[in-house]
Amino acid sequence: MAKPKNLILSSTTFERVVHWVLAGSCLFLFLTGFGLMFHSLSFIARLFPAVPLFTDLYPGGYSTMKLLHNLCGLLFGVAFLFALIAWGKDTLYFDEDDKKWFRVMGGYLWEVEKVPECGKFNAGQKTFFIVLFLFWLIMVGTGIFMWFPILGVELTRWFYVLHALGVLVLGSFLVLHIYLGTYGNPGTFQVMGHGLVTKGWAKKHRPKWLRDVEAGRRSV
Amino acid sequence: MEEKVMLVDVSKCTACRSCQVACKQWNKLPAEKTQQVGTHQNPPDLSWSTWNLIRFTELPLKEGGVKWLFRRDACLHCTDPGCQRACPVPGAISKTTEGAVVINQELCIGCKMCVNSCPFEIPRMNPENNKAYKCTFCWDRTSNGLIPACAKACAMGAITFGNKDVMIARAYARAKVLGGDATVYGDKYVKGTHVLYVIPEKVRMYEKMVVNPSIPISLILWKDVLKPLSALAIGAALVGTFFHYVIKGPKRPEEEGGE
Repeated sequence: MAKPKNLILSSTTFERVVHWVLAGSCLFLFLTGFGLMFHSLSFIARLFPAVPLFTDLYPGGYSTMKLLHNLCGLLFGVAFLFALIAWGKDTLYFDEDDKKWFRVMGGYLWEVEKVPECGKFNAGQKTFFIVLFLFWLIMVGTGIFMWFPILGVELTRWFYVLHALGVLVLGSFLVLHIYLGTYGNPGTFQVMGHGLVTKGWAKKHRPKWLRDVEAGRRSV
Repeated sequence: MEEKVMLVDVSKCTACRSCQVACKQWNKLPAEKTQQVGTHQNPPDLSWSTWNLIRFTELPLKEGGVKWLFRRDACLHCTDPGCQRACPVPGAISKTTEGAVVINQELCIGCKMCVNSCPFEIPRMNPENNKAYKCTFCWDRTSNGLIPACAKACAMGAITFGNKDVMIARAYARAKVLGGDATVYGDKYVKGTHVLYVIPEKVRMYEKMVVNPSIPISLILWKDVLKPLSALAIGAALVGTFFHYVIKGPKRPEEEGGE
């Protein structure tokens, strides 16, 4: 594809596809998970057909919803392995500039004259990824042993607690993530869309990365 | 329907197991392959098809020999049932006005959350259809004026069934008559169970009898703390980002609009 003038590729096809698989499975897990956690949201269960294949009787869509939640959890679990390949090396560390970034909170909360320069990901994004990494382990780990509770009653009870803690943390992080990736930072959504962003965007959000790309030190 | 209580006076139990058999018969529960585990307890544990089990405990005596303790083990029908708190499907576990806690297998989705949330480890899974089962307090009998099958079958009068206040009074009167370590077990836990025991020995002497049972702290953290808090946190994040946009505004690249 011919690259339009002044646009620069901010993410590879691999990164964008992984991102969408994660996003889709994550949102589906939230939808079905909320249907299982809140009786008041029982309308979510009604979105799913009662499949007699899975059960002789009819618990409505709840059986189907639970099974799909479990299976989608596996998809999310596997998809995150690819996310680690795609973003692990750019996110799982902090440097001096990141510490400075935290001191001014990236200029998001109060007026800051100069936000410290960052590479492909700023300190906030790195934190998001590290938290996601941690809760990926927790959610997939507890999820599997809630599905197949072979580790005994005492432990399984605490898995429910950890799984609910994950909802709290990941849920609020997801809201912030979507906000910052869309209307909070105009132009950013194309990192997940077709991948092409303006040089102005890159200079604002990824100054060190832009210099590296322009000097040929890294491709994307 | 008035709140009912089943009183199990274990001092009168002779371990004849007619309650076990009557339960199977009324509820049409199949027999299961059993195992000799060195005591008369048979089958060795509760299961999806054994809702009522006489547990045998051998208590060694100082002067030699043993004392036998028999206890009918089954669902205690809590006023505040952990299984119901944990169940994700509305109505799959319900309480009747008489106090019975009943699992509706037609609504059960096999998540096993009730199994892991019961303070007494009562509900059991049927591996064939992946649904949870337990004692129903014979709600299908009691709602038609009959007493539960186990109580009906008990020849010793160890299992009796009646109105709550009467039975609680009867339990305490009986414990007083027995004297010694005899106590009433049930009315003080999980807001009162609908099965009460009169036990002549200390609670810890009986197999699988939980000392001071209560709703697991994990269940409270999960359902009463983290569940509302997660909704609150997500809501706060939504409101927070909205006002961030309104007050602070988006972060735009400098050149935008200039090109």
